[in-house]
Amino acid sequence: MTTKQYNWSEIAQNPKYLELKSKKRKFLFGWWIASSIYYFSLPILSGYAPDLFKTKAIGVINLGYLFILSQFVMAFFVAIYYTKVANSEFDRLTDELVKEIQ
Amino acid sequence: MFIKAIITTMLTLLLTTVGFTAETARPAPQSAPAVAASTPQSITPTQAQALQAAPEAAKPATPAAPSPPTKVKPNRAITITMFLVIIGVTLGVVVWAAKRTTSAADFYAAGGGITGLQNGWAIAGDYMSAASFLGMSGLISLYGIDGFMYAVGPMFSFIAILLVVAEPCRNAGKFTLGDILSFRASPKPVRAVAALSTVTVSLFYLIAQMVGAGKLMQVLLDIPYRVSVIGVGILMVGYVAFGGMKATTWVQIIKASLLMTGTVLLAVLVMLKSGMNPIQFFTDIVGNQNIQDHVRMNVLKDALPKPGFDYGQRFMEPGLFLKNPLDQISLGIAWALGAAGLPHILMRFFTVPSAKEARKSIVIALFINSSFFFLINLIGFGAALYLSPQLISSVDKGGNMATLLLAQKLGGGAGSFGGDVFLAFICAVAFATILAVVSGLVLAASAAIAHDVYVNIIKDGKADQQTQVRVARLTSLFVGIAAIIMGLAAEKENVVALVALAFAVAASGNFPAVMLSLFWKRFNTSGVISGLLVGTISALALVVISPVMTYPQKIADDARKIVTTLEKKQAEGVVLAEKDLKALDKARGDFKKNDGGTSMVGLKAAIFPLKNPGIVSVPLGLLAAILGALLFRDKRAEDMFDEIEVRQITGLGISKASDH
Repeated sequence: MTTKQYNWSEIAQNPKYLELKSKKRKFLFGWWIASSIYYFSLPILSGYAPDLFKTKAIGVINLGYLFILSQFVMAFFVAIYYTKVANSEFDRLTDELVKEIQ
Repeated sequence: MFIKAIITTMLTLLLTTVGFTAETARPAPQSAPAVAASTPQSITPTQAQALQAAPEAAKPATPAAPSPPTKVKPNRAITITMFLVIIGVTLGVVVWAAKRTTSAADFYAAGGGITGLQNGWAIAGDYMSAASFLGMSGLISLYGIDGFMYAVGPMFSFIAILLVVAEPCRNAGKFTLGDILSFRASPKPVRAVAALSTVTVSLFYLIAQMVGAGKLMQVLLDIPYRVSVIGVGILMVGYVAFGGMKATTWVQIIKASLLMTGTVLLAVLVMLKSGMNPIQFFTDIVGNQNIQDHVRMNVLKDALPKPGFDYGQRFMEPGLFLKNPLDQISLGIAWALGAAGLPHILMRFFTVPSAKEARKSIVIALFINSSFFFLINLIGFGAALYLSPQLISSVDKGGNMATLLLAQKLGGGAGSFGGDVFLAFICAVAFATILAVVSGLVLAASAAIAHDVYVNIIKDGKADQQTQVRVARLTSLFVGIAAIIMGLAAEKENVVALVALAFAVAASGNFPAVMLSLFWKRFNTSGVISGLLVGTISALALVVISPVMTYPQKIADDARKIVTTLEKKQAEGVVLAEKDLKALDKARGDFKKNDGGTSMVGLKAAIFPLKNPGIVSVPLGLLAAILGALLFRDKRAEDMFDEIEVRQITGLGISKASDH
């Protein structure tokens, strides 16, 4: 590659970079952990609290079925929310940083 | 010249195939359940295991199925025409892509010229295997809600990929897993280990696919096993060797759209039949006599109904199929982390031009796949309601034919034109699915050998574009031939373990190594190597002593039970039906053949209780990676952390796949 050489450690100290990094890290790992907890509660609850899942909610449809559906909703929500934050905030910060460096 | 060599080899293979075809069609497989064990499992270790376990669950003697065993009989002429159309269209794509594949970046990453939308469909395609299309709906149709629970894993795996894998990898990587892992580490040993891991994972997976494809074609169309394996093999090598990533991606997109079309059509027909009312639909299921009988007699094995027990409602409750919660959690781990460590999925992020497009592609894939799995749930329950679990399990004990039978029925029934066409279409979709998934795997394995081993280890990264592409093409040919040979040899093997293994290795070896490379300053060469080795070896070791392997002693014991039951009946003076006599004969044979036998590693029974090793092997792999890095500190790797971190966060210095 014949791309431009950057001074990586200098960029790594840039305040804008540090802001972007800490914001991204908090958001990404926070949501990853939170959604993982929700995800793993499905096998845990269905395995160890089967009676909860058997409770009927709408007609014959029980909480277990609704909980599975809610996993889909959760994934949709995380994906949409992340896209929104990334497009508006992370990408903006990144663009500003890149402009400043180049 | 090398193109000539490839063409010659392929022609030879083709002729061999024709030779096999000319051979008198071998007798149809004596027992359909064999298929259950290994219908195409592409991305899903889960259903694969499910499929294998299903026949066990439904095995015990004297099946209560009222209807006589039937077979799915697609109209051969219509089905083969559709197959030929698919082959024709995809070969057209290959010719188009081959002209545009001149550099290594073209071959491995489609020149970075795939859009987020296209890549999203392609990734979704990698997830929508024939196992989910046929296997998952089958599981739902036989075991109710437990089958639907399987769908959550693949869907959730996108969250890890979206948040912490896709964009950083796109920013920091180039073509392969080895590129990411060797960024700060000593390139040669790390690339060697990464290539080994990639080839292992992809080949295991590939063989399972090929065996599944062969058996599916055998059951559906009476095409001999060898012919299908070699035929599928030639097509996949053709796609990859000539068209590289561009052709592989487009084949995947075509397949994904066909699959979605088929799925939407089936689900809409199911819903129309139930009057577009989901509540009524599920009420009908719970109240259905066939389903109630099936749950009572075949699943719970209550000879007499327990007073007051609602067997129909039980179908909507978990635990009919998934019995061990720890195994479910372990499987959940394999999905949540393993999918993000699969080399053929990782490679897809490099085909888009930027991190933003990578993000977009994952979100699109998530939407497509979630809709797919939701619709599969309607199809599965619809199959149970409109066909009856008894009929489905009489055709195939694992339920793998549920989708096909439902298509036939909703198209107008067996023998009707609509039924034939719809069934043929769904078969063709399953065929396209197999082709697309195997191509991606061949590409990933060849990239590891050609790019990591040949170009970067043997040639020190000094090879011109022409050589790189030529080597990549030749490698894919060899990988394809190896896969065909192993696929042929594995006809009678239990391939379920292979898929479990691919996922376990990806989750326990690749995933921790990728994450630590990107996010941990102290990570280095010895960390990568110890993590990959310990993760891979512990996953391998646990799978070979787990219940997914074949234990002849267990088969012998089961057979003995059948023999005892039936002989007792005979002794009581009952005249056995022909079917029972056959079963008795078979059981006696099975007992003789398997008694005293041991599994591949010499075990009479499984030592490790879980089918999925993730819950143990992932922590082991992670621990080894961390310890390895801490034991042998590497100043250079720590100094370079700033670079990889800035790159992965900002995308500065991104390796444009079109650069070289």
